Amino acid sequence: MPDKLDKIIESKKLLLPILTEIQDRDGYISEDNVRQLSKKTKIPLSEIYGVATFYSFLTTKPEGRNIIHICNSPSCYVNGSLNIIEFIEKELGIKSGQTTEDKLFTLHIGSCIGCCDKAPAMLLNGEVHDKLTEKKIKGIIKKCRS
Amino acid sequence: MQILEKSGLEAWKKAKEMKPEKVISLLNKKGLAGRGGACFPAGTKWEFALNSESDKKYVICNADEGEPGTFKDKYIIINNPETLVEGILIACNTIGAKHAYIYLRREYRYLEKNLTKIIKKIIKKADTDIQIDIVLGAGAYICGEETAIIRSIEGRRGQPYYKPPFPAVEGLFGKPTIINNVETLANVPLAIIKDDWNPNLRLFSLSGNLKNPGIYEMPLGTSLKELIALGKPEKSIKAIYFGCAGGCIPFNQEWKIDPEFINSTGCMLGSCTMIAVDESQSIVDIVTIIAKFFEYESCGKCTPCREGSMRILSLLEKISLGYANMDDIKLLEELCCVIRDSSLCGLGQSSTMHILTALKNFREEFEEKCRLR
Ligand code: SF4
Ligand code: FES
Repeated sequence: MPDKLDKIIESKKLLLPILTEIQDRDGYISEDNVRQLSKKTKIPLSEIYGVATFYSFLTTKPEGRNIIHICNSPSCYVNGSLNIIEFIEKELGIKSGQTTEDKLFTLHIGSCIGCCDKAPAMLLNGEVHDKLTEKKIKGIIKKCRS
Repeated sequence: MQILEKSGLEAWKKAKEMKPEKVISLLNKKGLAGRGGACFPAGTKWEFALNSESDKKYVICNADEGEPGTFKDKYIIINNPETLVEGILIACNTIGAKHAYIYLRREYRYLEKNLTKIIKKIIKKADTDIQIDIVLGAGAYICGEETAIIRSIEGRRGQPYYKPPFPAVEGLFGKPTIINNVETLANVPLAIIKDDWNPNLRLFSLSGNLKNPGIYEMPLGTSLKELIALGKPEKSIKAIYFGCAGGCIPFNQEWKIDPEFINSTGCMLGSCTMIAVDESQSIVDIVTIIAKFFEYESCGKCTPCREGSMRILSLLEKISLGYANMDDIKLLEELCCVIRDSSLCGLGQSSTMHILTALKNFREEFEEKCRLR
């Protein structure tokens, strides 16, 4: 019986969509998955890691249950994104690229997410939260924790 | 707004009855220029692909809108996806492609569901066997570049490669491929069907220190004063940034927004992105933020951009913390020119434009930091 990885390979065919599917399913791309994938597809390990580490939405270590991508590009910056970022860092006790100990949050500070007219903005699990204020952040974090 | 008008597949029907060469000459006659930044005539691009002999050809719709401050493509995908999809079908039919990809940036994943629905609907209505697939990016600014987008759809690292061969000759999976921006493709049906279609109208993404940021459709040649007034600034505006890659100009009210004029100031209008920066902001800080962006987004393939962007950032941090002297500013300027002149792709080449133009227009802010020592 073909296992789940076979099914993903079969339906997605190309390396990047395969990896994004694994990322969506597991929350990260594990070494085990990379090894199996390499064996099944005959794509060298190095090439798979090359792709898995190239894109900012793919990760090779486990992420938290809630993933924040907050923008620090110019439109958000001139609208106070730095203060909001500092506030989130303080509230969660983590820096960019880190995950909280309870595995509830991962924080990524990154590039523009195309919500510049409602700056500052962030994605929480792919969903837009904009015109961010400390109060809004508090509410969002509280909701995720409950 | 012109961009919100519909063709209701009238343009598709009309184009199908025409010879491909005729569609291309019509688009060129109407003056449809690419909206991704390079302003290359869309028809001419199509002509190259039409003339390339091959069993398979592809159309790629570039929806990897990553230039900071830009959100016009998102606006089109939300508000007029039917016309966009019709434009893709016309492109396929004209160059002889059976398969198109929409490369949608992952940050816009929430648009995928509705767009998929519209694609199905329009294909059914148009009664065609052309296939359109959405490919989701995975977070990389460089994937807006033509050759990087090809690599990424092929499933690989999205790193640019040397041209030629140009994509229209040898592109996706080695086959002739045209790559057009969302705004370009959405204009195709309108240019074909509307007699009064205006080639000069552009979607401006206005953001920054404004009370009314948003998308505004205005003709090229509009004055800066008129456009920025639409955004309702509350404080006096000091500078305008054309995204991160386009450089900055002082807010000179009388200046006209015209690609050639903007070029003459050392900037690039690009995809009509305008970030208004008011007098309370420090240009040195903004320059540092943008340098961080390029350091993060450099794909790492070539040395000047990969190593240079790191050096630039550390120099700028030295300046903004007040540890630099005038020689550091000179060094910064020199390094900017080297990166501009020796990088492989547009990302590296344009990555220092914001510093060079900031040094030209706001040099005293940099020197002030050095004098404070
Ligand atoms: S200029 Fe920068 S982004 Fe372009 S290929 Fe070189 S390293 Fe990559
Ligand atoms: S600059 Fe922050 S969303 Fe565009």
